Amino acid sequence: MGKSFLLARSNLKKAKGQTAAIIVLIFLAALMLNLWLWLSLDYRENFKRCHDRLNAEHVTLAIDGGSREVEDFLEDTLEGDTRTAEYFMDSVMHMVGTFEYNGGEMNTELIFFEKEAALSRPIGRIEIVEDSEYTRGVYMPNLYESDEIAIGKTIELSIGNRKMSYTVCGFFNSAMTGSHNCGLCGILMTEDCYQELKEAACVPQATLCSIRLKDKSESEDYDAMLKDAVSSRFAAARTVSNTYDLVSRSRYISQMICSGIMSAMAFLILLIALVVIASNIVNYIQENMKNLGALKAIGYTSRQLVSSLLLQFTGIALAVALWGAGISYVLFPYINKLMELQTGIPYEIRFLPIPFFLTLGALGGAVSFVVWISSRRIRKVEPIVALRQGIKTHTFKKNHVPLETTRAGLNLALALKTAFSGMKHNVTVCITMLVLSLVAVFSGVMFENMITDMTPFLNMIVGETADSCINVEAEAEKEFLDKMAGDQRVSKLYLYNSVQMLHVGGDVLMVTITDDFSKVNNQEVIVEGRFPKYDNEMAIAAKYAEERELRIGDEIKLTADGKQGGYIISGFVQITNNLGKDCLLTRAGYERMGEMQNTSYYLNLTDGTDIGAFNTEMKKSLGDKVNATIDIEATVESAASIYVLLMKMIVFAVLALSVVVITFVLYLLVRTIVSNKKQEYGILKALGFTTGQLILQTALSFMPAVVLSAVVGVTVCSFIINPLTASFLKDIGIVKCTFKVPIGYNILAGMGMIGAAFGIACLLSVKIKKITPRALIAGE
Amino acid sequence: MKKILLKTENLSKSFSSGGSLQHVLRNIDLELYQGDFTVIMGASGAGKSTLLYALSGMDTPTLGTITFGERVISNLNQDELAVFRRDHCGFVFQQIYLIDGMSVTDNVMSAGLLVSKDKKAILAKAKELFAAVDISEETQKKFPTQISGGEAQRAGMVRALINSPEILFADEPTGALNSKTGLDVLDTLTRFNEMGQSIVMVTHDMRSARRGNRILYLKDGIILGECDLGKAGLPDDAGRQEKLAAFLAEMGW
Repeated sequence: MGKSFLLARSNLKKAKGQTAAIIVLIFLAALMLNLWLWLSLDYRENFKRCHDRLNAEHVTLAIDGGSREVEDFLEDTLEGDTRTAEYFMDSVMHMVGTFEYNGGEMNTELIFFEKEAALSRPIGRIEIVEDSEYTRGVYMPNLYESDEIAIGKTIELSIGNRKMSYTVCGFFNSAMTGSHNCGLCGILMTEDCYQELKEAACVPQATLCSIRLKDKSESEDYDAMLKDAVSSRFAAARTVSNTYDLVSRSRYISQMICSGIMSAMAFLILLIALVVIASNIVNYIQENMKNLGALKAIGYTSRQLVSSLLLQFTGIALAVALWGAGISYVLFPYINKLMELQTGIPYEIRFLPIPFFLTLGALGGAVSFVVWISSRRIRKVEPIVALRQGIKTHTFKKNHVPLETTRAGLNLALALKTAFSGMKHNVTVCITMLVLSLVAVFSGVMFENMITDMTPFLNMIVGETADSCINVEAEAEKEFLDKMAGDQRVSKLYLYNSVQMLHVGGDVLMVTITDDFSKVNNQEVIVEGRFPKYDNEMAIAAKYAEERELRIGDEIKLTADGKQGGYIISGFVQITNNLGKDCLLTRAGYERMGEMQNTSYYLNLTDGTDIGAFNTEMKKSLGDKVNATIDIEATVESAASIYVLLMKMIVFAVLALSVVVITFVLYLLVRTIVSNKKQEYGILKALGFTTGQLILQTALSFMPAVVLSAVVGVTVCSFIINPLTASFLKDIGIVKCTFKVPIGYNILAGMGMIGAAFGIACLLSVKIKKITPRALIAGE
Repeated sequence: MKKILLKTENLSKSFSSGGSLQHVLRNIDLELYQGDFTVIMGASGAGKSTLLYALSGMDTPTLGTITFGERVISNLNQDELAVFRRDHCGFVFQQIYLIDGMSVTDNVMSAGLLVSKDKKAILAKAKELFAAVDISEETQKKFPTQISGGEAQRAGMVRALINSPEILFADEPTGALNSKTGLDVLDTLTRFNEMGQSIVMVTHDMRSARRGNRILYLKDGIILGECDLGKAGLPDDAGRQEKLAAFLAEMGW
């Protein structure tokens, strides 16, 4: 071991540059790996910890009205179900409301709690995370803490036709009502404010039922059962609910995206690092053939020589992985801050031994394995042969690019000779460039579809978008439609109403209802088949269909208002609003079972129309007949801005990382070439080749592999990027991505990568300048 | 009157070694003439190779000037020197230095294509030279490590002559060869010199030195003396051998 250690130390001293480059690659791999393990193993568990700490519910159901009869019915139903562990009911106020957030509008189901009552709830407890001296006002979910919504500032809530202003007294955390992603967004009010709102009678009273189950995995089924029971008994009751399963997934979408990208980057960088290490070892054996022969001649065994390489590389890998994993703790607070914008749940950063040691183990193990495999050739080194022949880098199988017949210029021809003689280098370059092609295409697609023009992203994630949404009472529908028909500012108007229904034998589904689906703005929602046309047809979420093995043409039963109806599946849709538990019905189809109590209409307004002013005008003009108006553009902008910010950061990070990776990989390869060809360059200089010509030849020698892999990589990635992205987003209901692939950008990116690789290779080859023909003579 | 090809004035070369300055060449004034087979001799460490590489633009002098024809080459930068070498010089090395990754033909073509883009003309010239040095078609296609040392050195000469250099520099061209193949190489050099090729050769071997018509003896960085042997003739020319032996004895060889 002592001898191997001495050899390893000597090898390290001789290859400082190489060691530095490998250190950077392993460092980046360790950093990404630890972050990924952190996000995937612990970050999501944070929801479970928060849920347990607050003794939060597994199913939450809010029923407007909140009569004694409803409560009694609920009690009987809950008590009668063996899955119920405990439950709690209290009185709240509930209505759809809007407030300004993140430069847009947040429109969501608001649950108004009286502060003290909320803090003392035995189930679904709420905790204050930031308090102040203000004693009159509201506490908001800490997700919304921002420049606009801050302690002491005034928040304006639009509820129905009213606008109410409150002072922000602080922020709270709640597992199941702490974000618009929960479906129900809580707002805590100080007692006086709560009483004032209650007395104003502009917000309906509701019963909030919080239920803990014996087995939380049954939350979806339980919710379906409960809603079906309630709607069967109280057909007119307006209900809204959420479940543990839904909330835990929807609050961690950013974690899922980030974790997916981190894992991809970690594995790709690790792969590059391993290829580079393997290539280095093969070169080391070639370069040091005589030394290895000499060492064997004086008595070193193959095992000792392999051990020295194992010690050298595994030692570096472990030490650097330790640093990489350590530095991830410095980086994580920034990622956490970004993540909290979407999860809304505070995460306490602490040392996590499992991800840490898994990172060390994975990197150490992978590097050891690759070193062991690549250094096995040492066993075949015979001392006498090695001492006599030294380096043998040419196999003499074929004279590639013979100069007497090639049409290529001299520099290109000599570069091609180098390229053909260095297939291991080519493999390393190809793998690196293929990885970078994927990164470049992914960045381009994200940039094009999320940053430049968000429409494709919104079409896929949000489903349907329009300028405005107005929800009116059912009895005022005709009056509303007449009014809209006479308004020149309205260019398109169509019913777009969402209600919950139960799939008999399945889950609760969010049903979107319209008169004619050919009129909706987003026709991309259908991923297979077609929209429903007749009252016995429906389109269903592709993800749900896949899980339930449903096919187009199958008939399923839905139930609402205590009635059941059979529907034939006409197509598959993807809408992520309900994480893939959605379906579409025509109005006639829905009315086979139930009547809509109120209706939401989507409006496209003519260019230049002020959406906010239009909505306000409608509220004034129709009064209480309007339940809610939504500036969809502002709402979507507000909600999507978090994802756009996240994506910008990711795109920037992966591009920066790619530049670092290609630079270091090329550095290692150029260094190896320059080192291997030092004598050749000296000879060529003696013959009259200039430094510029040799730099050009060296850089050009990488180009066949660079160009080939960039062209193949960009082309293939352009085709696979949508299915690949869909696989990342499968959890939120995406089965088919229809992102626009920016061909122009991809061609430019490919050309940019080739140009950058050439430029970097030229810069790194400047070292050739130091090689003089005199060194050849002096034997340096 | 012989035409001066290369001329040096106060040519000096010093190396820094272990903190002290080592003067390898000291104020050398020298003229090399067209058509001559000049041999530089001297003991090990006398500065023979340093002088050869300074004259050929492979290395730059510390002081003094080197003029090639009318052009001062001692103040050229590395790339200008490279262009000078490719245009005017040919090199034959002791270690041969053919490039292992290229076939014999490609080794020659790579030097030829540096100067001319007329591939056909270069190839024809290469074939002519290969024939002159007795390298077969089959050998031309081989890689350097697949041929003998003598063949490799003769191929090295073809590479050195492919651009019809005005001057051919040879640094111990037989140093790595056995006596038979060494003799072949010297015969080839002699033949080319007879055809008008100017040659400057460094050697410490008397047998090799006899091929030259002008012998320079270098000692401690200065040209201690020179001897005109007359035009190289037969290798066993007894008079030339005696004259050279007497000169070397005088120089303290």
